[in-house]
Amino acid sequence: MKRIEEFLTGRLWLRNFSPFPKEQVDQAISDGSVTVTPGILDGRQCARCLEKSVKKIIPFFCAACNTICYYCRHCIKMGRISSCTELITWALPSTIPPQSHSFRWNGSLTPLQERASQEVQKSLLQKNDHLVYAVCGAGKTELLFPPIYDALKNGLRVCIAAPRTDVVLELSPRLRTVFPNTIVHSLYGNSPEESGFASLVIATTHQLYRFKDAFDVMIVDEADAFPYSYDPALKRAVMKAKKKEAPIVYVSATPSDDLVKQVSNTSKIFQRFHGHPLPVPEFRSLWSYEKSFAKGKIPPKLAAWVDGKIAKGEPFLLFLPTIELIDQAIVLFQQKHPSIEAVHSKDEDRKGKVMKLRKKQIPGLLTTTILERGITIPNVQVAVVGADQPIFDAAALIQIAGRAGRSIDYPNGDVVFFHNGIVLQMDKAKKLIVSYNGGGVN
Amino acid sequence: MNCYLCDRDMPLQVSWRSIFFNELEEVVCSRCQSGFERMAGGCPICSTPGEGKCHDCCNWENAAYGGVIDSGKSLYRYNPTMKEFLHQYKFLKDAVLSEVFATVLKEELRSQKSVIVPIPMNEKKLKERTFSQVDRLLDSASVPYTHLLGKNEVGLGGKSKSERMALQDVFWWNGNPMPEKVLLFDDLYTTGSTMRMAAKVLKEKGVKEIKVLALIRA
Repeated sequence: MKRIEEFLTGRLWLRNFSPFPKEQVDQAISDGSVTVTPGILDGRQCARCLEKSVKKIIPFFCAACNTICYYCRHCIKMGRISSCTELITWALPSTIPPQSHSFRWNGSLTPLQERASQEVQKSLLQKNDHLVYAVCGAGKTELLFPPIYDALKNGLRVCIAAPRTDVVLELSPRLRTVFPNTIVHSLYGNSPEESGFASLVIATTHQLYRFKDAFDVMIVDEADAFPYSYDPALKRAVMKAKKKEAPIVYVSATPSDDLVKQVSNTSKIFQRFHGHPLPVPEFRSLWSYEKSFAKGKIPPKLAAWVDGKIAKGEPFLLFLPTIELIDQAIVLFQQKHPSIEAVHSKDEDRKGKVMKLRKKQIPGLLTTTILERGITIPNVQVAVVGADQPIFDAAALIQIAGRAGRSIDYPNGDVVFFHNGIVLQMDKAKKLIVSYNGGGVN
Repeated sequence: MNCYLCDRDMPLQVSWRSIFFNELEEVVCSRCQSGFERMAGGCPICSTPGEGKCHDCCNWENAAYGGVIDSGKSLYRYNPTMKEFLHQYKFLKDAVLSEVFATVLKEELRSQKSVIVPIPMNEKKLKERTFSQVDRLLDSASVPYTHLLGKNEVGLGGKSKSERMALQDVFWWNGNPMPEKVLLFDDLYTTGSTMRMAAKVLKEKGVKEIKVLALIRA
């Protein structure tokens, strides 16, 4: 029973897919310690992801019930929810004893980080939402360590939600090292099963669908990132996973205007931890680049830029607007250098290829916006092809520019926006970066 | 709308045909569509590439199941894109995916003279999956069909080919009147044992000609 309590506290889980024997679950339900809710709520809303659009909640003739049931396509990858499936959760007040936590970190915070850290801590004590608005490379994660430790010591359950698996994998080992006595769970698609009751959960926003009224502190990392800002379901998931009165800490280098307006307590850091200014993007025209690729030719200006990087042995990232264009372009770049690689969101070897670039085993990578954030490669040179395309909004362009010059040994680096006509979002991105370097916006 | 497989937004494609002929709407984007590989020619029963009847089908012909299938074909190869499709359709039970091959199946079965008979599921399996994936493929294509067979509760999964070949009485006739010509339809053709066993029952009950059609050849 203890294991069931640890697992199901704050969780919303498919009854048929629980990791416990059926008899144990049935017993817990009949004695009232576990409650059951239907998978699709009244009003045809998914009880797990709260989706209710008619495009995602689909009627079908169900052979198990011999009637029309509804199922949710939105969260189907986590096991299908339909009208006749049941979700279980722990129903009783928690009897889990408080854990002892320790904090092992010998780094230090810059004065700007230190101030922001204290401001976050203060907001959490007052149960207020807080926004950490800090440029790429400001050291956002480190400044969260002290407030997280404080919350854990007070017996609170903390969640860090990040938009992508890559970010969860990057954060997890750092937090496990800093909090060695804390049970930490890292949750993402196909993550290995972990045991015990986690006081600290690091999860992709998708995994939050499986929690309800669980967390006392919710930290939303990269709060603006795709798919979070585009997907209202993920926003609802954050609200559902935390306890009602629990404060949210939003962390972002590129918060939306709405977020800035919505959250009144804000800490701003417009300087990188190493003190050097952010590389400012340079605009270069690249007329009719699509036609050129379609004809099987790399546009000369772009070819020259890439040749320069290969000659100097500097790793490069080349961002392109669509997978289709990458498919066309990669063969041409591989004629230039056979070990140039391409990555996109469905690429299972994405991690491996980024690692090869970091180790200088390959000269460069062609990528979609998937690598716009969360990665650090020393001395990386960055270019965007088709920076005028709508997929590259100002936030994406700032994040992409933020890949360059992150390491203290190479604080500079090319950021080139190749375009087919300058658009507003490019201007906005450049103006913001320049203003950060000048001390920031207000 | 968004692509059923990759969820990317698809530009609405309006043509005169789509307006006047009430064509089925495409539910998969062109990039995902291009991941599926059609089969052409090959074995006159299962479409395995090569000249004449393939090795597997020749083996069947020389055993107790010889002559039960007169001809047939498979439409698609079991490649990684197809594997992912089947996983989402059958394992994750994403019922709407039956629409992905609606246009192709409608075209393939448009002027079919034989009675179309889907391979059935047993009751237990049907209750587990909540829908019959074979029937749904035909329903989505608006192709009429008749059930002539029932299936016992023996799964083929995990059995070797010789074990499969030795299985008896997997299918039984459900009592509906027997037509002269039948086209047996299944989603996945792997060793051929399902089709052979079903065809044998039908031939024994008096069907004269049996064709088989599989969406996918594994």
